[in-house]
Amino acid sequence: MNGNCNTCSTHNVGTLVQLGVEMHDTDFVVALGGNPNTGKSTVFNALTGLRQHTGNWPGKTVARAEGAFVFGDKRYRIVDLPGTYSLLATSIDEEIARDFILFGQPDVTVIVVDATRLERNLNLVFQVLEITDRVVICLNLMDEARRHGLKVDDRMLARELGVPVVPTSARFDEGIAELTQAIHEVATRQTIGKPHRIVSESPIVKQAVDELGKRVETLYPGLPNGRWVAMRLLDGDEAIMAAIRSGELGALQQPALIRNRSESEIPGSIPAGSTRDVNTEQQEPLPETTDAAGDGIISLASELRWNIGEDLQGTLMQTIYAEAARITDKSITRPGGHSSFDLDRFVDRIVTSRWLGFPIMLLLLMLVFWITVIGANYPSAFLSWLLLDTIQGLLKAGSAQVGLPWWLDGILIDGVYLCTAWVVAVMLPPMAIFFPMFTLLEDLGYLPRVTFNMDKMFQRVGAHGKQALTMCMGFGCNAAGVIACRVIDSPRERLIAIITNNFSLCNGRWPTQILLAAIFLGALVPPWLAGFATAAAVVGVALLGVLLSLLVSWILSQTMLRGEVSTFSLELPPYRPPRILQTLYTSLIDRTLFVLWRAIIFAAPAGGVIWIISNVDVANMSIAEYLIGWLEPVGLLIGLNGIILLAYIVAIPANEIVIPTVLMLTALVGGMTDVGEGAGVIFKLDSLADTREVLDAGGWTILTVINLMLFSLLHNPCSTTIYTIWKETGSLKWTMVATLLPLTTGLTTCFLVAQIWRLVFGW
Amino acid sequence: MIDPIFALSVFATIAAILAIVFWPVRGLFWYWQRVYWKSELVDVEDALKHVYNCEYTSRPSTVDSLAGCLSITTDRAVDLVQRLDELDLLVTKDNTFHLTTSGREAALRVIRIHRLWERYLADRTGLKESTWHAFADRREHSTSPREVEALSARLGSPRFDPHGDPIPLPDGQMPAERGIALTKLGVGQSATIVHVEDEPDAIYAQLVAEGLHPGMVIRVIESAASRIRFDADGEEVVLAPIVAASIAVVPISVHAHVEEPFERLSNLQISERGKVVGISPACRGSQMRRLLDLGFVQGTEVEAELLSPGGDPTAYRVRGALIALRKDQAKLVYITRMGKGGPDEREL
Repeated sequence: MNGNCNTCSTHNVGTLVQLGVEMHDTDFVVALGGNPNTGKSTVFNALTGLRQHTGNWPGKTVARAEGAFVFGDKRYRIVDLPGTYSLLATSIDEEIARDFILFGQPDVTVIVVDATRLERNLNLVFQVLEITDRVVICLNLMDEARRHGLKVDDRMLARELGVPVVPTSARFDEGIAELTQAIHEVATRQTIGKPHRIVSESPIVKQAVDELGKRVETLYPGLPNGRWVAMRLLDGDEAIMAAIRSGELGALQQPALIRNRSESEIPGSIPAGSTRDVNTEQQEPLPETTDAAGDGIISLASELRWNIGEDLQGTLMQTIYAEAARITDKSITRPGGHSSFDLDRFVDRIVTSRWLGFPIMLLLLMLVFWITVIGANYPSAFLSWLLLDTIQGLLKAGSAQVGLPWWLDGILIDGVYLCTAWVVAVMLPPMAIFFPMFTLLEDLGYLPRVTFNMDKMFQRVGAHGKQALTMCMGFGCNAAGVIACRVIDSPRERLIAIITNNFSLCNGRWPTQILLAAIFLGALVPPWLAGFATAAAVVGVALLGVLLSLLVSWILSQTMLRGEVSTFSLELPPYRPPRILQTLYTSLIDRTLFVLWRAIIFAAPAGGVIWIISNVDVANMSIAEYLIGWLEPVGLLIGLNGIILLAYIVAIPANEIVIPTVLMLTALVGGMTDVGEGAGVIFKLDSLADTREVLDAGGWTILTVINLMLFSLLHNPCSTTIYTIWKETGSLKWTMVATLLPLTTGLTTCFLVAQIWRLVFGW
Repeated sequence: MIDPIFALSVFATIAAILAIVFWPVRGLFWYWQRVYWKSELVDVEDALKHVYNCEYTSRPSTVDSLAGCLSITTDRAVDLVQRLDELDLLVTKDNTFHLTTSGREAALRVIRIHRLWERYLADRTGLKESTWHAFADRREHSTSPREVEALSARLGSPRFDPHGDPIPLPDGQMPAERGIALTKLGVGQSATIVHVEDEPDAIYAQLVAEGLHPGMVIRVIESAASRIRFDADGEEVVLAPIVAASIAVVPISVHAHVEEPFERLSNLQISERGKVVGISPACRGSQMRRLLDLGFVQGTEVEAELLSPGGDPTAYRVRGALIALRKDQAKLVYITRMGKGGPDEREL
């Protein structure tokens, strides 16, 4: 309490003798409670000199640990209770903690409190103060509070709570001497607490607690707080009712139990977990009257519960939070952020304004895409040169020298290696540019504002505003978008976001769209409009994806995922300068690892499969040709062809190899030998005119192109994404829905477009 | 090649069949499912419930009321009554039905299950209020006694369902009916809503749309033959008397502590300020805890700071943080209005 008085006797640490587990003939019992992760075990170790394992995760104290120390001429036994957030006995931990404080009747209860999260911790403090007045608050983690710039007024806190408060940093042994001094004073009754107790504001509840509390206090005059028992009874607490019925509660008032115990009598010495039968051995036969009176109290409580309605929990919780907030505000001063506050407000007014909000958002998004597309060209070209032209050539030469059989050389180099290298060259650069920019916008604090602006639209379709963000992430990579759905905390809305994420055109599909639009649609208009027409077509497809994802969200929220938006709350954090270098570095590493992992796990086997089906002949025809023949009728029905369907089936692992596979298969089926890298090797052509020539020879029309652009948007997610959805939802059903829903949409859309097209324009 | 017209016709036919079978709620599939669930047991339990409710609210239960309540023909209702009579659950006196002791026990058991499920749906799920009743109606026939007690324990043995109806105890204990109809209040009188009747659906839907819940404090402003106008937790509501009669209230005595007038957080315009006085009784359990965690606790000053360009949500400045809430949730926070926020007043 008085850290500044160097002359104080409490500074004489020499008076503290740590006894570890030697616990004979202790004079006082001290219970140690607190929220998880407040450094409770560290305080325990500092007091006893033991090394109980401590760690930075909640709920670590599994079994009850005990230790001892000597202060002055008194011996103290200290019992470490499980870390809990409350004493309402909704979990075993809470029940053990509460039973010990209530039935074990420790001489002092020390509550360890996290100084940086005082408001949250006070809930437990209030509950302990309801049960007993022999409390010392150990305000721990003062070092962290100082680091956060918090000014903690422990004297004010002590005045508000009515019990001693000792600031400590148990990790550095700071304040431990003062803590033992305070424990000693409370144990020896030199300090008597006047604990702050919360009174319900509802008149009905107050009346009920008064009435029942008086009955309890009359029956059990030795109880420290009859009102608390009354309150628990009114809340329907089964454990307390059981304690009344069994006479446990009655036994607490017997003075013989409270003073002069030898070790065997101390209830705490019963092993953890069996606290239920505390006191049963030394219990005197209870007077007959108590039984009937106890039942009377229970039935009175049951009757009163009808009068007070369901309000008790609600109003009480509100009162507790309000008190916690008030006391925290009084005793903790946070570092002022005034200067940035008004600038934030000014910026917020602009980026969320009616006229500028959306334009700014669109501009930023377009800027991100522009930088991604332009910026990715150079590294992509370099990787393509390195991996596809140079290294592949070297590998080929190497295998020729070693004399690998042609099929092994084909599978490994033309199949597996080529496909893996292709995926890396196409995907890595845009991913490594797109995602760091997103992270920067997030660090800056802008992304929550996007959610804020877009929420109304998503609210209309029964989704969460944060789906705007996961959709944007999907434009980079659907698997990343699905993972990002974790930020949506209500399960229903999260599922909607996961299922519809595939409608965002990902980086693996942009090149397909751009290529097709440039070759075929750009050629339909005069040259000076070609660039514009291409861009408009691609943006049109992407927007169609956005519209469909909203539509599907709406349909899902009306059918399979019915229900109201449970809760929406969004914190708009203050703007912060992003840590650019660190973000770039970690993001680059993350994305590179992700792309490599995906290329090796998913794309490499696909490469092998593609090579095999197009090179292994059965009765003079490759497997691919058989498959294409079978798929052709279906392909034609939906305005595509067998080659495209086969390419989509073998390219499930990676959308970016669809076009190279289509080119290869078209050349194979058409018997074109003058293009590409040889039979069954996926390729791309350097000039758009050459590509067009191959595809024209394959029988492509404008309808084929339009439908392929649509199908590229609307088909099953790539296998990486399917796998991610399965990992994230943990459900086969939802994975199937997320896979088949876009595929069905795509097949239906392409079918309708093809048939209507043919109806209007003929074959 | 396939003729496009033929292909499109086949498609249209398939789509139509799928729509007829799987159309939400009215599709054949859902109809069959409902028929499958609707067994004799369901009818018996529903009939017991109906008779019990009539007894509880002192209305007579007749063959006609039973047929109307269960949506069955009068013939079927007569059969059902005979069956109940055989099972010794019910006796008929002067054309009205009365439950026997075992009949009452059975009815209370079903009612307990129904109301516990409603409590569960209200506290633990985000399902719409208008769907609670139908869901509970289905589950009340298929929940075992042990499951019921587990559910009750999980919910903290609640005493009231979200409509304010008491949940019978396992031994069948129920309090006498509380409250009077809202229509019986005089002008200027204040009362607490204790019950919102959830049948018939049409009237209940209207009450839900007005956001009326047990626990709300109301004050009658005007009471005429054609309409009743009253203030409910800061918002004015106008109801036809036949609708208002579905609300039971307990008048607040003059001695009780009456709060100063308050309104909802959603009423605040940008840069207006208020002080939180509480959270609506419509919001309980984890949802309320969330609002409290965000800082919407009694006595906290709140300022509406930003409005989304879409018109919803609104961002509020609370305890130094900027928190966006949708209108639906901002409605659940009660405030008293304070002066406008200026730079000099904005001390944190």
